[in-house]
Amino acid sequence: MLHIENLHVVRGEDAQAHHVYLPQLVLRPGQLVAVTGESGCGKSTLLEAIGLLLRPDHVGRFTLTDTDKEHDVASLLTTNRQADLADIRARHLGFVLQNGGLLPFLTVQDNIRLPSQLLGISPDKPLLDRVINTLKLGPLLGKYPSQLSFGERQRTAFARAIVHRPGLVLADEPTAALDPYNAQQLFSLFIDLVQQEKMMALVVCHDWPLVQKFNLPCLVARPDADSGEHAETQARRGTHFVF
Amino acid sequence: MSFNRTLLLGRLAVQDLWHDRIISFCIVSSLVAVIAPLLLLFGLRFGVISQLQDDLTRDPRNLEIRMLSSGSYDQAWIDALRQRPDVGFAIGQTRSLNTLADLQTDSSHFIENAEVIPTDAGDPLLGKLEILHDNEIVLTQEAARKLAVKVGDTVTLRVSRQREERREWGRKSLTVVGILAPTYFNRAALFTQPALLLMLERFRDGYAVSELGNSSGSQLNDKPPLYARARLYASDINQVASLERVLRAQRIETTSRLADIENVKSINRVLGVIFNTIAATALIGCVASLIGSFIANVDRKRKHIAVLRLLGFTGPAVGLYVILQGCLLSLLAYVGGYGIYLLASQIFNRALAGSQATDQMLCKITLQHSLFAMALTLLVALLVASIGARRAINIEPAQSLREV
Repeated sequence: MLHIENLHVVRGEDAQAHHVYLPQLVLRPGQLVAVTGESGCGKSTLLEAIGLLLRPDHVGRFTLTDTDKEHDVASLLTTNRQADLADIRARHLGFVLQNGGLLPFLTVQDNIRLPSQLLGISPDKPLLDRVINTLKLGPLLGKYPSQLSFGERQRTAFARAIVHRPGLVLADEPTAALDPYNAQQLFSLFIDLVQQEKMMALVVCHDWPLVQKFNLPCLVARPDADSGEHAETQARRGTHFVF
Repeated sequence: MSFNRTLLLGRLAVQDLWHDRIISFCIVSSLVAVIAPLLLLFGLRFGVISQLQDDLTRDPRNLEIRMLSSGSYDQAWIDALRQRPDVGFAIGQTRSLNTLADLQTDSSHFIENAEVIPTDAGDPLLGKLEILHDNEIVLTQEAARKLAVKVGDTVTLRVSRQREERREWGRKSLTVVGILAPTYFNRAALFTQPALLLMLERFRDGYAVSELGNSSGSQLNDKPPLYARARLYASDINQVASLERVLRAQRIETTSRLADIENVKSINRVLGVIFNTIAATALIGCVASLIGSFIANVDRKRKHIAVLRLLGFTGPAVGLYVILQGCLLSLLAYVGGYGIYLLASQIFNRALAGSQATDQMLCKITLQHSLFAMALTLLVALLVASIGARRAINIEPAQSLREV
């Protein structure tokens, strides 16, 4: 389970600073939440903070509960323990990037197995087979990313993100560069896999119709105290993410 | 970082280099372009100098210090000389006139006034040839040719003197136990124990010397022998100058091949300066080329490095990844450079060596040199790759999310 309270991240400095707030987020195994909002509102910043890629200015609570252990991520972030954070990232998080983020010098198979190899474990064979079958990656295993279409790359990236059984999968606009049909197909496969494997997922998505089609709960970006009448308010640009 | 993770990192580094083999080839080539000429230059410098130095040290004539003036030296003086660490070989020698004798095998084979040279164990001219008794001799090849003798044959030594207006002859039969190759000495001469020379001197001085078959003349007294000079060799070429100085301090005029030795040393120094200057310049170029290549490489792979960090590799781990790649590329470049050096040195040695029979190599480096050069290459690569590694460590994993 993922439990975050009062997460506050500041991007930029002084007048250019952009504040991102997440008052509360609770995710349970098998649950998938979409993060939507306008470009530049801070969706990726929020994803980076939850993905332990940047240090928040404040965090009230940030816990990630494994099957038998609760990790107090907030204290690791506060004390900036990078090695421990990297370890949590490797064990408990899976990432799907907008461009796939595959390593070009590894075949599809090696890319998928890399997170498990990093942890020094063999991938769960039944899960690996299921993921490869579901995402139709069988014929692509020996190919390099440069030999794949964009959709194939994204399918490989999905597989890589989940084969080491992370608790939480973070996806940053994974279908942004796909046509609507392929985007829907991929999204559907992803949702199925996350729910089957009892993982949690947070997906940044611009595609509002897609989110509606799958009836996903949404974290919506709500710009802060608008108007801009007061100089003080103007100086404190920011976004609140709320359900 | 665990061993397993280090292995994985190494495997990824190799796969990355192989995938990017054209770029890797370019980086390796730019390094080979520096390493190969450097090895060749050093090989030439070392080969030429070591060849000259080998020739110098192998040739015992270069160790010899000739005493030009005659004196009167007792055995104690000779022994004191032998005790010096800078002396390789020393033996007393009688007056010049008494070091000549006739040699004969039959009426048609004889040598008039052959040189009789004292010798003992450790004589640098004789090498492994050994004389155990005072009736044994080693002949030079020239003498053996004139006398038509071989090892095991017998020759007669004949010496004459004028006593009371009569010409008297002394004779001694000697066995040839060795023939000296003409490499370093090829005048008609024989090497023998000092006792025979003393006999010759006493005979010429008018004493009765029964060993020479002549018992007429004054009876020998018990006075210890005195030598006119010594056959003297320094322990190595670096000792010749100091030993000569010691003798000159005793007012003994000497001559040696010191000038030749100094010549080689001076060539060594000059070549050293030339090589070091070129090497330093090349090394600066090499470092600059490495810095450029490695930093460009890290910047080019920014996105991949960010992904590695995103997947859970720590900052130091990706630093090690870059260093591993730098070291691997440098190692490959060294192997390539060494291969080119081997080919080019063969060409040099075939084209420039005087004679292959003497196994002369004008361009060579030893195994130790090769290992040292490899270690130096790796050290430079390590230092330079550290700069790239520092940049890699500073790459934030979040960049993988931001960069498209």
